[in-house]
Amino acid sequence: MPDNSERGDGELFREFEHTGDIGIELDAPSRIELFARALVAIGRLMVEPDGIRLLEERRIELAAASDADLMHDLLSAALNLFLADGFIWRDASVAEKDGGLAATLSGEPFDRRRHSLIQELKAVTYHRLSVEKSNNGWRARIVFDV
Amino acid sequence: MELRRIHDYLWEIPKSGAMRVPGRIYASAAMIEQLRDDPALQQVANVATLPGIVGYSLAMPDIHWGYGFPIGGVAGIDAEHGVISPGGVGYDINCGVRLVRTNLRYDEIAPHVERLADALFAAVPAGVGSEGAIPSLSLDEMKGILRDGMNWAARAGYARATDLDHTEENGCLKMADPDAVSENAYRRGRKQLGTLGSGNHFLEAGRVDQVYHPDAARALGLEPGQVTLIIHSGSRGLGHQTCDDYLKIIGRRMEAYGIHLPDRQLAAVPISSDEGQAYLGAMAAAANFAWCNRQLIMRLAERAFLETLRISERDLGFSLVYDVCHNIAKFEEHTVDGRTMRLCVHRKGATRAFGPGHPSLPAAVRALGQPVLIPGDMGRYSFVLIGSEKAMRESLGSTCHGAGRVMSRAQAKKSARGRDLIRELAEAGVTIRYQGRGTVAEEMPSAYKDVADVVGVMEAAGISYRVARLKPFLVVKG
Repeated sequence: MPDNSERGDGELFREFEHTGDIGIELDAPSRIELFARALVAIGRLMVEPDGIRLLEERRIELAAASDADLMHDLLSAALNLFLADGFIWRDASVAEKDGGLAATLSGEPFDRRRHSLIQELKAVTYHRLSVEKSNNGWRARIVFDV
Repeated sequence: MELRRIHDYLWEIPKSGAMRVPGRIYASAAMIEQLRDDPALQQVANVATLPGIVGYSLAMPDIHWGYGFPIGGVAGIDAEHGVISPGGVGYDINCGVRLVRTNLRYDEIAPHVERLADALFAAVPAGVGSEGAIPSLSLDEMKGILRDGMNWAARAGYARATDLDHTEENGCLKMADPDAVSENAYRRGRKQLGTLGSGNHFLEAGRVDQVYHPDAARALGLEPGQVTLIIHSGSRGLGHQTCDDYLKIIGRRMEAYGIHLPDRQLAAVPISSDEGQAYLGAMAAAANFAWCNRQLIMRLAERAFLETLRISERDLGFSLVYDVCHNIAKFEEHTVDGRTMRLCVHRKGATRAFGPGHPSLPAAVRALGQPVLIPGDMGRYSFVLIGSEKAMRESLGSTCHGAGRVMSRAQAKKSARGRDLIRELAEAGVTIRYQGRGTVAEEMPSAYKDVADVVGVMEAAGISYRVARLKPFLVVKG
């Protein structure tokens, strides 16, 4: 099972200001790695990663009209895994599949007695959502409703 | 952005570009100075571009940057020819506030506050991984809740007839269509009935510490020293998922209707379209869920009071003063430019504030105007207001909804570093229990405007009037 736990928060994403909610900006060397990092980031915004064991995997497959839509839909599907099914992950890998993406999240069922909840994110917004090429690779900006 | 002063508490963004109507913002001169460079003003102008908007794109003094609509935004849209925008309702459909009064006096329960805090925290589930008061709802039961709202709660023994009388729309939007709600939304909501949620949601036990309008306070059963409970929550994951689902559906269909808007989060389709009708049905269903959620939280809280204080229901006297929603779209009749029109009024972070005599108001307060509940931050105070006749003429029967943030969550956390906020609150006489790490910092009092300034603007503008001020002594946060 992949373990990218060396991705510390400091290098994984930066928070930016939004009045009522949380925005993050993150970079990656490739488009696919950007999606994988965003998946790890959303998990880390919600639950302390240290206590999450890599016991199970969940898979998300989807396609969308644009990279921004893909980011929105991918993170929304992951958020649903946490909020509706109680699955929390510490790592993620992403591959291209049939014109879309196939993501694998590695973690375990959330247990409020063992895991440390940081905050509940409620939605991935379209607010100033961007996924684009940057000087050194790829960059995304995402705002979450809390 | 150009701003014209209409009077000391009302400012206008003149119509320009694609705006169909001017924008109008209720604010003091000091507030408007702080807002000049705020993106929320551009959002007021963006809302003014929605097809079918009439009168003004309105904003209340607790305005701040939202998604599509600003928080604090109000838009009246022609029900026949206009559009519906999920961004004008928000993610937390029927997020709202209910106020409960008791027969208790603060002096009597002061020695029991710590135990009461523990009991409320244990009784009302808050965040992820917790289950609601009825954890095993079947799909049929869920559909009944979404279709019938508080009528379901009454049938199931969770609500009294007076609870329905004292809730906007009697706790049920009849246009609800449970089949328009996605499977994902059901999955998110199925264990959340009777849960508080996180973010800015809370329970707040307080005491009436000032009465400004004795007749209205008497009609609402409020008197100085009395213990009250405020419940602030909404439709939980079910509402968020519904908003997200329809932002996507509606965003994809705008082009087909020839609708072009400056912000994707403003996505809108004609009210009469299939997608518009489906969203309205789903939104109403989520609103009905939210009313039942607040109703169940009220019952859980009542039990916590009874078990902690070991008194009878009669001695406790737990009864609903009123329940308002502040994220909703509703069909209402209003007079605009001398013409009576049926409008779809979008209120996002704004509260209905109907004036005296409105037939939808409960008999006990009809002559005075609608009760309006305005929570402040957790360290200072909250307010009970009543709506006015002027609100009907000027603000589509709407007023503010809360204090409004002045600091982002990140700023608040930064500003809280090195401070013992729990002790600061204790020194201010407030006991707190909380679930999520960081919530207390993000929600600390100085992250918000002083709500007294916000309600003061609306009173000075003649839109809503203060009835009473409530001072918190116990707060439970998700």
